[in-house]
Amino acid sequence: MNSPQLFPGQCVVYNVASMAIKSDLELMLRVRRGDAASFETLLSRYRVPLMGFLRRMVRDQALAEDLAQEVFLRVYKARERYQPEARFTTWLYRIATNLALNAIRDRKDEVPESGSEEAEGGPVIERFVDPQPTVEQQLMKGDRERLIRGAVESLPENQRLAVLLHKYQEVDYRQIAGILRVSESAVKSLLFRAYETLRLRLEPLLREGRI
Amino acid sequence: MNCPERERLFDHTQRLLDQPEAARVRAHLEACPQCSRVVDGYLRLDSVLDEWTTVEPSPGFDARVRQAVETSQAGSAARGLWGLRWAGGLALASLGILLVAGLVWLTRSHRPVSVPATVATQSPRPTAPAPTPREVAKLTPPSVASHQAVTAPQPVTELEPKAVSSSEDEDAHALEDDDLVANFDLLSEIPKGEARVAN
Repeated sequence: MNSPQLFPGQCVVYNVASMAIKSDLELMLRVRRGDAASFETLLSRYRVPLMGFLRRMVRDQALAEDLAQEVFLRVYKARERYQPEARFTTWLYRIATNLALNAIRDRKDEVPESGSEEAEGGPVIERFVDPQPTVEQQLMKGDRERLIRGAVESLPENQRLAVLLHKYQEVDYRQIAGILRVSESAVKSLLFRAYETLRLRLEPLLREGRI
Repeated sequence: MNCPERERLFDHTQRLLDQPEAARVRAHLEACPQCSRVVDGYLRLDSVLDEWTTVEPSPGFDARVRQAVETSQAGSAARGLWGLRWAGGLALASLGILLVAGLVWLTRSHRPVSVPATVATQSPRPTAPAPTPREVAKLTPPSVASHQAVTAPQPVTELEPKAVSSSEDEDAHALEDDDLVANFDLLSEIPKGEARVAN
């Protein structure tokens, strides 16, 4: 891979990024050869972001941990089939996304969908804009977080995934496209529509922040 | 004033525009309070979304992952071992079948050699009454005689009814063969002159 030489500063950033990518690939190739220490490094590097992604996806700490464990186990089991051409994180989050979506669908029959409006006693916005004295109380940190979570979780599946991956996992558009198996322009469109919806649903919070 | 599309403003907040395009949007925002508010809304939304924190995995998480990996490895190893055992068992069974088949083949191919011994144990010919020349003359051809051994027992079989009744099918065939041999033996014992008289 040739580094661009036009802008020295940019070149440094580019090289640091490529080193990080290469490091993941290198670790995974070592795991493929049976190096347990490299697997440990990948585990310690991605346990928190992966857990955060799954926790936000399934809204259940225990289930998220089970899924995260399953993701790492599948990575290990599939180590011999790993293609070095693909970025490790794309592969990792694709496995995680598939597992999370399956878990959500399996759970659908048992309880109302996580984050759906009926799951917590009514539409999020209605509860938020309810002109009762409890509005101020709802603005406590926990409630604010619950409202944000509810708003994101009520997004359509692909929009929700795009927001979680882009906003919270800091995955770039190209990778999101690879994870969701859509084009980059589709990812841009998904994110724009998601932000438009969130902007409307969280308008009271945005106003609150402005004061 | 030509305001950019909202999606273009959103792309600007996401730093997705190239430098010339981003410069044009920045210039527009300085002159357009409406578009500035839209951009401000996206940026504020980004900051509000940051409030949704998450928790780290529980302390035992890494250990559980390691345990799962080890269990998976042990399972693979056990499957491999089971495969080896299965293959070994199959090889032993095949060898056993080959040995049995070889023994059966050897037994069958050497039957004429073992017949006298069988006859010796099964037919007490030395004690049986010797047939008279007339009886010899009445003897039927060997093939017919062997058929009669089943349908109409010869004197030899009458002497040992137990042997016939208790034997398996294969033994019955062997007995038929013994009768044949016995008949030939009897023929060879007949003096030539008497045989000629009978004819």
